[in-house]
Amino acid sequence: MHEVLHHLGYLAGGLGTTLELSLLGFAGAVVLGTLLTVMRVSPILPLRVLGTLYVEVFRNVPLLAFLVLFVFGLPDAGITYSLFTSEAICLALYFAGYVCEAVRAGINAVPVGQAEAARAIGMTFGQSLALVILPQAFRTMVQPLANVFIGVVLSSSLGAAVGVSELIGRTQWLDLQYDEPVPTFLLATVGYVLITLAVGLLAGRLQKRMAVRR
Amino acid sequence: MIPQKNGNRSARGRERGIGAGGGGGAIGVGGGGRGRGRGGRRGMAAAGTALALAGALTACGGGGSSSLPSSPGGKSGAGKPSAYTQAQVVAAAPVAPASAITAGSWMAKVKKRGTLLVGGTDSSAMFSQRNPVSGQLEGFDAGLSQMLAKYITGKPATKLSLVTVDTRETMLQNGTVDTVFATYTITPQRAQKVAFAGPYYESGDAILVKAGNSTITKPADLNGKTVATEGNSTAALDLKKFAPKAKTLLFQEDGECVAAVKQGRADAYVLDQGILLGDVVSDPQLKVVGQPFTQEPYGIGLPKADPEAKAFVNAWLKTIYADGEWAKLWKATVGTKIAGSPPAPPTIGSADGS
Repeated sequence: MHEVLHHLGYLAGGLGTTLELSLLGFAGAVVLGTLLTVMRVSPILPLRVLGTLYVEVFRNVPLLAFLVLFVFGLPDAGITYSLFTSEAICLALYFAGYVCEAVRAGINAVPVGQAEAARAIGMTFGQSLALVILPQAFRTMVQPLANVFIGVVLSSSLGAAVGVSELIGRTQWLDLQYDEPVPTFLLATVGYVLITLAVGLLAGRLQKRMAVRR
Repeated sequence: MIPQKNGNRSARGRERGIGAGGGGGAIGVGGGGRGRGRGGRRGMAAAGTALALAGALTACGGGGSSSLPSSPGGKSGAGKPSAYTQAQVVAAAPVAPASAITAGSWMAKVKKRGTLLVGGTDSSAMFSQRNPVSGQLEGFDAGLSQMLAKYITGKPATKLSLVTVDTRETMLQNGTVDTVFATYTITPQRAQKVAFAGPYYESGDAILVKAGNSTITKPADLNGKTVATEGNSTAALDLKKFAPKAKTLLFQEDGECVAAVKQGRADAYVLDQGILLGDVVSDPQLKVVGQPFTQEPYGIGLPKADPEAKAFVNAWLKTIYADGEWAKLWKATVGTKIAGSPPAPPTIGSADGS
């Protein structure tokens, strides 16, 4: 226990990597996920089908399997990213499916009258989506997106299995050295809880400020 | 199975697995409901391929028959009178006298059940690997566990439960398995949780690199390099000691570490020499350099709650050391990949923790 506490700085570094991974992965997922939603609500059938397929494929593959494929499969095809980049990309690609579903639910929460009104004043599909529907949709999505972010944070721990030295990776290293699984993993748990609690609190505040009163 | 082919197949599987998502998109453009149905199935196929790949990765470097690149004299055992198969060695193995099985002991429980519950692996070349054709477990660990089962029950009946470095101690402690044969390095920390008979084999950490690499020949050369090893293996700590400036990558499986070296993510891979030799046997792209730089005494894991088990298994080890059965088994398993005559068996109790 005593030795483990000596390595708090080392663990904090891992927490930093976890945060970096999560933020990059989440940002990518939001951009790609929103794009997927636009595809799925668009009037063009092939785009809708493609969007649906993407979401179904990625939601039906375990993230770990996807990570292993990405890290060890792609180099055989001649493409090698660093382990950190690989994991950030995987998180973004994987959670884009979940973001897409959250955004779609948000769009469904916007009353149909809004879309009809936008059409009635002559807006195109793009204009009504960008100016009328998505701004209202995003305001109802704070909590669902916060949940996706928490998912990204917790899933980033899978990186330890493919050699990324994030919080769990460093915890396992300390455990290996001192054979003290309980204190090391307790510390790691505290790290994750700190991040997710902060996200939850922040999301609650944002939601209150942004809610559309109808 | 010819290992080279195995490698190709897993590479092709990988391409297919990645292609499945895109291909599904193209096919699905048929129509709403049907497209979705296909999409679901495609997703499952992709998941299946992914799992198959994960399996292929762990099974990398499967039991080949070619000789080691570094040992031209490869199969020196062939033709000599000592060339037994594993099955022959086990068939000739001794059975314990009835007086050795005291009532109510660990041995008596095993004898009553008629089967030895073994914790191990089925993907470790030379030590315990399932032959895909016969379904039999082949290797030094597998052969020893069969000999121990025969010693107790009169027939080589074992039942394998797969264990990992994380679960070995727990499965012994809670009685899921009677014993663990899994290239299990004896350490004082582990000995606090389980009892170790043996050591029955001496290995040590060695270095695996690409065949064309000539800059790494000893542990000190690893400083400043990226080195892969299995997380939770003792090698990760040894690396810290022998090459403190090396950048360590921890992967879960042997196959992943090998892939990391082949793909250039890591400059080298450090683990027990026996396991590394198993990896390079089937792969001309890789080689093992230098001699082992640590000592890894392998022990037979036994429950600490049954103290009589350790003395009993140690007595059995002494028997097969003395009558040459141990050496014959070495020749039939590890000896098919490493040239030369069998080493002298390690002294029982010589390892710290045994």
